[in-house]
Amino acid sequence: MSDIIKQKIWEIIASNTSVTEAEWLQQKGVSMPGVAMPGVATPGVATPIELMTAFVAAPRFLSKKIIHTSDGEKAALNFEIPGFSVDGWSLVRLARVWLLTQLDPSDKEEYVKNIETLFDTAEMNELVALYSALPLLSYPDQWLFRATDAVRSNMGFVFDAIALHNPYPEKYFSELAWNQLVLKTIFNDKPIHLIEGLENRSNEKLAMTLSDFAHERWAAGRGVPAQVWRLTGKYLNQTLLADMQHLFDSEKEEDRKAAALACSEAPLPAAQYLLAKYTDLEKSVKSGALTWADLEH
Amino acid sequence: MCANHTEITPNPSHFEDSEEASQAPAHRDIAWNDYKDLIKGMRFFDPHIHMVSRTTDDYQAMNQAGIVALIEPAFWVGQPRTGLSTFKDYYSSLVGWERFRSSQFGIKHYCTMGLNSREANNEPLAEQVMEILPLYIYKEGVVGVGEIGFDDQTPAEEKYYRLQLELAKEAKLPVQIHTPHRDKKKGTERSMAIALEHGIDPSWVIVDHNNEETVKSVLDQGFWAAFTIYPFTKMGNERMVKVVEQYGPERIMINSAADWGISDPLAIPKTAALMKMRGIPDETIRLVTYQNAIDAFGKSGQIDVADFESGYAVDQSEKFHGNSILRGGQQPAPVKDFLVIN
Ligand SMILES: [Zn+2]
Repeated sequence: MSDIIKQKIWEIIASNTSVTEAEWLQQKGVSMPGVAMPGVATPGVATPIELMTAFVAAPRFLSKKIIHTSDGEKAALNFEIPGFSVDGWSLVRLARVWLLTQLDPSDKEEYVKNIETLFDTAEMNELVALYSALPLLSYPDQWLFRATDAVRSNMGFVFDAIALHNPYPEKYFSELAWNQLVLKTIFNDKPIHLIEGLENRSNEKLAMTLSDFAHERWAAGRGVPAQVWRLTGKYLNQTLLADMQHLFDSEKEEDRKAAALACSEAPLPAAQYLLAKYTDLEKSVKSGALTWADLEH
Repeated sequence: MCANHTEITPNPSHFEDSEEASQAPAHRDIAWNDYKDLIKGMRFFDPHIHMVSRTTDDYQAMNQAGIVALIEPAFWVGQPRTGLSTFKDYYSSLVGWERFRSSQFGIKHYCTMGLNSREANNEPLAEQVMEILPLYIYKEGVVGVGEIGFDDQTPAEEKYYRLQLELAKEAKLPVQIHTPHRDKKKGTERSMAIALEHGIDPSWVIVDHNNEETVKSVLDQGFWAAFTIYPFTKMGNERMVKVVEQYGPERIMINSAADWGISDPLAIPKTAALMKMRGIPDETIRLVTYQNAIDAFGKSGQIDVADFESGYAVDQSEKFHGNSILRGGQQPAPVKDFLVIN
């Protein structure tokens, strides 16, 4: 992991903390963040157990507030690690993530053991910080089990920490695990457009599974959020085309809009014929007046 | 149930044996109808109870009797542990599931974290526990290091007691001391002397399970003196009333230490009722059954009385890790002010 990202995070912390809070963190983290030479052990640098203890103790020393970030800061983070964002985080969460970045990764066995211990002993807010930090940790493959486990978790905040605004799954999840994550997000009624890499990792299998899922919901007299059909456009086939017809017949305007958008993205000629039957919708899609963003809630 | 308690051999837990078995009158059992009017409007704080071994009925009865908050000290679960994992799971349950379960019955749950004296004697395991303990004592809602101290008064017990005193000092947390059942007087003196030797301010130390023999010295040296109303064994509620009459309310607190032995999670409200019957002033009762515990453990900075002083809102439709306390189609009780006795 780059030292620039540590520095960028520290700058956000610094602009969101009081002097006492910043001092506590500096004392617990490294002696002088940003001044300490990268990779060079300086006297006064924290030991792993000191960092881990500070990770746990953070709420005792930092205020419980939500941080603010400037557009410049947001862009800088995103430049270093695409998709990584700290928007809406609490100060404690951000400070915990920063403390994790201070763990020395040079001894892999030791490093992995320390992170695993934190996972093992974590309460819910600590888990949130740990999963939020995954894109910044060394040895990313080591955390795959934990990450997919978090997707299975029923702890709302923990699930959100791995599923939403987190670039780790896009980069490291297998197709099976990725599809699970997306489906679980839909199942939990959370907005899929907050999943990083949604477009990049779309796949035919997911589109077909989504069709099955929608059929189950329809059979139970329930619906599916309209924007999830954005995952199907490229993969429209006969089965999905029938689903599109079902959507065009829906009483909900959003369903009809979703069908129009999905059909317009489909290479399948039959999808274009279907769309052409709904002149007004076709017009607003083709003119760009209607986009998936209109269905994002 | 206490009528002929001297003939009953209790299940050993906090109170391993009873060398001084009968000192009549020791304890008086009181039924809800006898005392509910006496404690009307009172609220209680139980600073020592092991809810992990109690039932839902207990939580409901405690809430109904006016217990609004409690502290669950980490202790021995009765069964020898086979490894570090069971410690981790137990500690995690104290800040996790058990705290959630308590909240579902309108009771604010805090805990103290520590390696108890009995288990300090398994040194290889104790070493491992000490390594992870710092990761638990700083967690939110942890109000002290406890319960620690002596059981058999072995060198290993002393070693881990001292190490944990240092940990408490470093973390700026109160210390909750479990005093031994055998050779209690000596064990209590030794526990206090060692705490002072480590430079710990006695006003940060709660010495637990006192009796008539130990109380004077504990108070004289500036420590908090906690009393456990544990029917059948050391301290009965009748005797407790006498202690309060003699020493007054300053730095004295009462707890139930209810656990998996024969114990009573309603020991505090019952003792409060008895004190009321004996003409002890309301303010004294309030101090020894509520306020003193908050003052002592509040030094941790982890107790915000606003969380429970006007009752504790309950939403039984909430979930923890996706699990609810409700089973098999049970409907959540309506959300309401859960402090029944207003
Ligand atoms: Zn106990």
